Amino acid sequence: MNGTSTYAGYGRIILVAAAFLLCWELAGRVPVSGVRVFPPISRIAMDYLVSWDVYLNHVSETIRTAGLGLLIGSVAAAVAALVFCFLPSVERLFQGVNITLFSIPTVAIGPLLVLILGGSWPQIVLAAIMVYFPTMAAILVGLRDIDPRHVDIVRAYGGGSFSVLRFVRLRSAVPGILAGLRVAASLSVLGAILGEFGSGERWGLGTFLLGSLGQSNAERLWGISIAAAAVALAGYGFFALLGKLTASTVQVTMAASRVPEQMSWSAGRGKLSNIAMIAGSVALPFAIWSGGLWILGLSSIVAPGPLDIVSYLFVSPESADNLVRLLSALGQTLPLAALGVVLGLLAAFVLAALSVVSPGMLKIVLPISMVLQSTPLVALTPIILLLLGRDILASMAMAVIVVFFPAFLLLVHGFSLVPRAALETVKVYGGSRLQQLRLISIPHSLDYVFAAAKLVAPRALLGVMVAEWLLTGTGIGNLMDVSRGAFDYGMVWSCAVVSILVSVLAYHLITVTERRFR
Amino acid sequence: MNMLAKISNVVGSQASPANAGLVVTNVSKTFSVTAQSRMEPLQALKNVDLFCPQGSLTALIGPSGCGKSTLLRTIADLETPDSGEITICGESIRKILTRGELGIAFQDPGLLPWRTVRENIALPIQVLKRPVGEASAHINTLISLVGLAGFENALPAQLSGGMRQRVAIARALVTRPSLLLLDEPFGALDQILRRTMNLELQRIWMGDVTTAVLVTHGIDEAVFLADQIAVMHGKPGRITTIINVPFERPRPESLFSAPEFHRLCDEVAQHLHH
Ligand SMILES: Nc1ncnc2c1ncn2[C@@H]1O[C@H](COP(=O)(O)OP(=O)(O)OP(=O)(O)O)[C@@H](O)[C@H]1O
Ligand SMILES: [Mg+2]
Repeated sequence: MNGTSTYAGYGRIILVAAAFLLCWELAGRVPVSGVRVFPPISRIAMDYLVSWDVYLNHVSETIRTAGLGLLIGSVAAAVAALVFCFLPSVERLFQGVNITLFSIPTVAIGPLLVLILGGSWPQIVLAAIMVYFPTMAAILVGLRDIDPRHVDIVRAYGGGSFSVLRFVRLRSAVPGILAGLRVAASLSVLGAILGEFGSGERWGLGTFLLGSLGQSNAERLWGISIAAAAVALAGYGFFALLGKLTASTVQVTMAASRVPEQMSWSAGRGKLSNIAMIAGSVALPFAIWSGGLWILGLSSIVAPGPLDIVSYLFVSPESADNLVRLLSALGQTLPLAALGVVLGLLAAFVLAALSVVSPGMLKIVLPISMVLQSTPLVALTPIILLLLGRDILASMAMAVIVVFFPAFLLLVHGFSLVPRAALETVKVYGGSRLQQLRLISIPHSLDYVFAAAKLVAPRALLGVMVAEWLLTGTGIGNLMDVSRGAFDYGMVWSCAVVSILVSVLAYHLITVTERRFR
Repeated sequence: MNMLAKISNVVGSQASPANAGLVVTNVSKTFSVTAQSRMEPLQALKNVDLFCPQGSLTALIGPSGCGKSTLLRTIADLETPDSGEITICGESIRKILTRGELGIAFQDPGLLPWRTVRENIALPIQVLKRPVGEASAHINTLISLVGLAGFENALPAQLSGGMRQRVAIARALVTRPSLLLLDEPFGALDQILRRTMNLELQRIWMGDVTTAVLVTHGIDEAVFLADQIAVMHGKPGRITTIINVPFERPRPESLFSAPEFHRLCDEVAQHLHH
């Protein structure tokens, strides 16, 4: 995007937003239905004015934990990316861990962290976990995707890999790092809020939200949503501005979905060492799990290891009952998440394709999507509660929304990369826009469809679980919450492990489908 | 083949390690099949012999894709040959380049986009961990030499293709190399500027008397600048002919229109087309 069109973009956003706010204010003032769902903007503003100290305490606590999480997560990401860049075999070994961290439904491990850690550390660690993957991916791609000619020049003067790092890689990675941090900043806010749900901490937007969901105070719910979104957007904006100042902006969503792909399991080498590598990378997450518990010296009742979970689900006297409860909850959650992925992707694809046919539409939809994509999804829960209530539709909506925006942005990006010359070839022979779409754009952006699927599948599960926990009281999200209350820690851990496994499985399923397709 | 035998004779008789310049002996290089591409293994260089006496300028000329760049990169130790040996005054190339005595400009300038003209030219000095400050005056001289005075602080993106190439040439000269490798350095320049740069290159090269290898597509450029012209042919890449250029130095610009100059150009063209 060049300078002028960005400013024009800002102008459009402001105009659309102003019109939107005006309609909202008016709608809220319609006496019959308005107040319950859309409180007038002025009332929300009043709530801020009257309870500003409460808001301030909650917001500043969330900023503190999110900030710490961002710091820890991005330092870990930078270290990991450097190690992976120089030692590809370590990267292959950590592939299982990386994919796990990529697809972890964060809300699932929040309660575990609360069991293990004290104070505000669960929130901080959760934020760090959410930050780690996209940042690591963006830095690694930046360090790796360098111009080979630059390497040649350094090597021609006797420079070794350290010189290449110093003169070429680090600087090449800057745009990627900033783009990664941009996305990570808003994710850290989401992580902090999700962590606060189960933590029982006094302050924080998550606590505030949880406490307010029961009261039917629409102004308050909207107030919290907007505050959470504003904090996340501020973080995003800060790094976007930094990127603009250093004139280094880059698309990062693709990087996030691309790195695990590069670490493809079928990469060369001997068959035996390859199998050993795969086995190692599968085993490593479990090793870290049991090793971590062993180091922390926690009792196996509060923090069961892999074997304890196997026993809980398959061996112990109550195992049959446990397994049935877990599977039936899973049976409620999975279809919704899957449907969410399909519907969200479909909507994103159709809309992205439409925007190719009529580019004018993009000018309005794109800025809005960018804003909404970096809004933490929990900020949506109160609004969904107000609009859709507490039934299955709410879970569905949550899944579709979390899937739609990142998928849409990624697909629009994919469509925009279709070579102009190819499109013009169709045009020269009298082809219509629709033919351009069918013959060129869609086949060309297939990569992006799969990338989007990988990116959003774990998010859909996360979305449904959050909705289940906060709103609907069904499925695995709810089972976790209930089991926590009943001190049934085996079940809490089983839910977490199963939801992680499902995400990782979905990831690999999409990868396999993608290979078949080619 | 006859010619090849002659070259190795020359190498045999003159190449005492002390005074010998660049000696390439029996170098072969095959690009093997990689995982991604389904291409056949490609023999880019086959038994290449080349002898460039100390202080001489050798032009490497041949059809596109015949392996000129690969030979140059192999000399610079950027590609490892499958067999054969490359020495400079009896030393391995590795030693030469860690001492900063190699200067190289690629076909594609490959400037670092985030560095200014001046910083790009200074890069080799930094890689060699030498103080940049001391080279400051030399860098200034080079910048005006390649006609970029006033553009010291421009970024590569703000330069034309030809200007970028000139930055790459200045960068190749910044360490005062004793072996200079230039891969089509004047490819993106217009005819007039090209003539000027040819004269400049001759001046620089005569001033510092370095051993130089210049890859070029311009027959007249090769004849004007070189002491010897090595003609390459592809599939597999090999040197088929060596032509000596007898003109005295410094060669004046008027040489470009001399009849004996054109006669030699025709001879080179003949060899090129076989
Ligand atoms: N890294 C590489 N991997 C595989 N093949 C290569 C590689 N570099 C060069 N080649 C092949 O080696 C052959 C010689 O290439 P080279 O770049 O040396 O040609 P050239 O003579 O410099 O051509 P030009 O005049 O067009 O620059 C070509 O067929 C090319 O495809
Ligand atoms: Mg070449």
